Amino acid sequence: MNIRVIGIAVLAAVLALVPSVASEYWVGLLTQILIFGLLALSADLLLGHAGLFSLCHAAFFAVSAYTVAILQTRYGVTTIPAALAGLGAGTLLAAIFASAVRTRGVYFILITLAFGYIVWGVAHRWASFTGGDNGVTNVPPLTLAGVQIATKAHYYYFVLIVLALALALYRILTTSPFGLALRGIKSSETRMRSLGYRVGAHLYVAFVISGFYASLAGVLYIYFNRFVNPVAAGFPYSVEAILMAIIGGTGTILGPFIGSGIILILRNWVSGFFHYYTAVLGLIFIATVLWAPNGVMGLIKSLRSGNRGEGA
Amino acid sequence: MLNLRALMFGGAVLALSVAVGVSPAEVQEKKPIKIGLLAPLTGPLASPGTEMVNGFRQYWNSVNNMAGGRKIEIVVADTTCNPDQALTQARRLALQEKVDLLVGPLCGHEGPAVAQVSAETGVPLVMDPAGADDVTKWKRTPTVIRTAVSSSQIGHPLGEYLYKDLGLRNVTFIGADYTFGHEVTLGAVKTFTDLGGKVDRIIWNPVGTKDYSTTVNSIPAGTGAVVPIVVGADRIRLFEDWFNYGMDKKHKIVASYWLHEDVLPQLDDRAVGIIGNVLHYVAGIDTPENKAFVEEHIKLYKRVPSWFAESAYTAGLWVKTALDKINGNVEDRDAFLKAMRTVEVKAPRGPVKLDAYDNPIQNVYVSKVEKVNHPVLGNILMNKPIKTYEAVSQFWTWKPEEFLARGPYKR
Repeated sequence: MNIRVIGIAVLAAVLALVPSVASEYWVGLLTQILIFGLLALSADLLLGHAGLFSLCHAAFFAVSAYTVAILQTRYGVTTIPAALAGLGAGTLLAAIFASAVRTRGVYFILITLAFGYIVWGVAHRWASFTGGDNGVTNVPPLTLAGVQIATKAHYYYFVLIVLALALALYRILTTSPFGLALRGIKSSETRMRSLGYRVGAHLYVAFVISGFYASLAGVLYIYFNRFVNPVAAGFPYSVEAILMAIIGGTGTILGPFIGSGIILILRNWVSGFFHYYTAVLGLIFIATVLWAPNGVMGLIKSLRSGNRGEGA
Repeated sequence: MLNLRALMFGGAVLALSVAVGVSPAEVQEKKPIKIGLLAPLTGPLASPGTEMVNGFRQYWNSVNNMAGGRKIEIVVADTTCNPDQALTQARRLALQEKVDLLVGPLCGHEGPAVAQVSAETGVPLVMDPAGADDVTKWKRTPTVIRTAVSSSQIGHPLGEYLYKDLGLRNVTFIGADYTFGHEVTLGAVKTFTDLGGKVDRIIWNPVGTKDYSTTVNSIPAGTGAVVPIVVGADRIRLFEDWFNYGMDKKHKIVASYWLHEDVLPQLDDRAVGIIGNVLHYVAGIDTPENKAFVEEHIKLYKRVPSWFAESAYTAGLWVKTALDKINGNVEDRDAFLKAMRTVEVKAPRGPVKLDAYDNPIQNVYVSKVEKVNHPVLGNILMNKPIKTYEAVSQFWTWKPEEFLARGPYKR
């Protein structure tokens, strides 16, 4: 336990120091890694804890980003109400799409895939409202209590603080009886059912909470990018969120962020000098599936399993 | 405690490796001018993206990578035809590589994203070849100028050509279902219907449509001509299905945006005689500037350049002309933008200059596919202009205010 506390403290210190040593670009990239890590984490609440493979998380992400962008640029709504509306819209959509938990396995994947495409289609086709392919540009920077958070470093700190709160809540949630019940459902749904748990209700709530986290990532994303277009709602983003969670390690908090770091650094930095980076990404994914099905976090755990038991 | 030490060591390494990324700005009198080129080098439009980089490098190599007495350095970034990626890469070029100006991107929907980075950072953007109409009409950015073409700029002459030159009164369009396709198609529809023409049907296809059989089979019987606006690999699929289903015997086809030089090597003699494009550039333009450009390009890359290569080449020529005029003082961004806005360039595509809305005024060519014998490449297909619309403005014949009040072309 001690090691864990020290580890978190060191990590927090390193993260807090980044803007003083790194250039603006790297701070920006790290912010992006944190935001997409949060999106991956939201999808992983279903995958890693409840065993549901969702392919529509980009939908909540994009709906909340679009809501904020349109409210701010077209209706002049200020940050706080716009951000709350974004969170609300994404979560509401999740409450509707959560009906997918009536299905399991491949049917769940297919229905979430279809839901995702609906949102992408609306963003793409309803051009008079969403701006179509061109999207919504020039979203103003985040403004809290009259103070504009315009620099990359300041926004990075803002994201860190929001993340710290969100992750603490996430940790409480996943270790609560509710979280443990989800794990129970993942390993054996019939057993949980025969023990008297309301499996459907648990999964429904988990889906909505997961949608809330994806919406939070969407709000952080729009104030970072200050631009959104249908790509944000697209199938590739949903898949990428899941891939990030798998590469980093499902069912963990740090894993999705590690996965997000690996994928985004490959795409944004390595692509600058190595054009076959997508092949590298493919190899990493194959290697993960073959040799480290529990991702980077699984590897770390198995290295340490000498002195610590496998943590659920 | 080993773990703690390992963690701290890891943290220190991370901090150091991040720090290495930053280098102090060089303080020198005549340091090189850095140009950031944004092109899709992977993904669905990798082939036009590569051509764009080739055309740009071809130009700068032809002038020894010098402009205004300073050396030119080109940094290429891969946008993958994804606006998010384009935005991140444009920020990287502006903030990390500290480029003096940006050139690109290629995909229409990446345009607004990169324009935003230019607005954020003040780094001038020479937009080439993304076509989004918005950029030089309703959503202009003071630091962004376009050297390629606006989507609907090539649509307007097409509508008139169909009505006046071909005498068509009712046509069917096959449009690519995204912003660029909408703007080209509906631009042509506008001028065609204004003259009195009738549109039998517009068949929209998403980019990446695998099968054009339903499309070609739903063309209304008795339509005067079929006018495709298709991009990417769809161009070849439409070509194959057009002949496989015997449409060449039933209908006349007059393309707006279809048989470009980059797909011609993959087609056969069935393409000969088709009006394959109404575009601001085709490789068969008969001017000394273009011949020199095409021959040099063939020598270097063993292929006939399409408009993507020419566009990047001309962007280079344009930037060089402007930089020479201000003696390479690119740090004075206002002076650079003013020079870009005022110079006139004799490009391979013909004379070009910017209008008051930062979009080029240029020729638009109606072209026909012909078979020619090239000394290096042998028997090849080539687009030859059969009619030239000179000095076409993005506003066609309307007053800019009138056009702007009407709003964008939307499906």
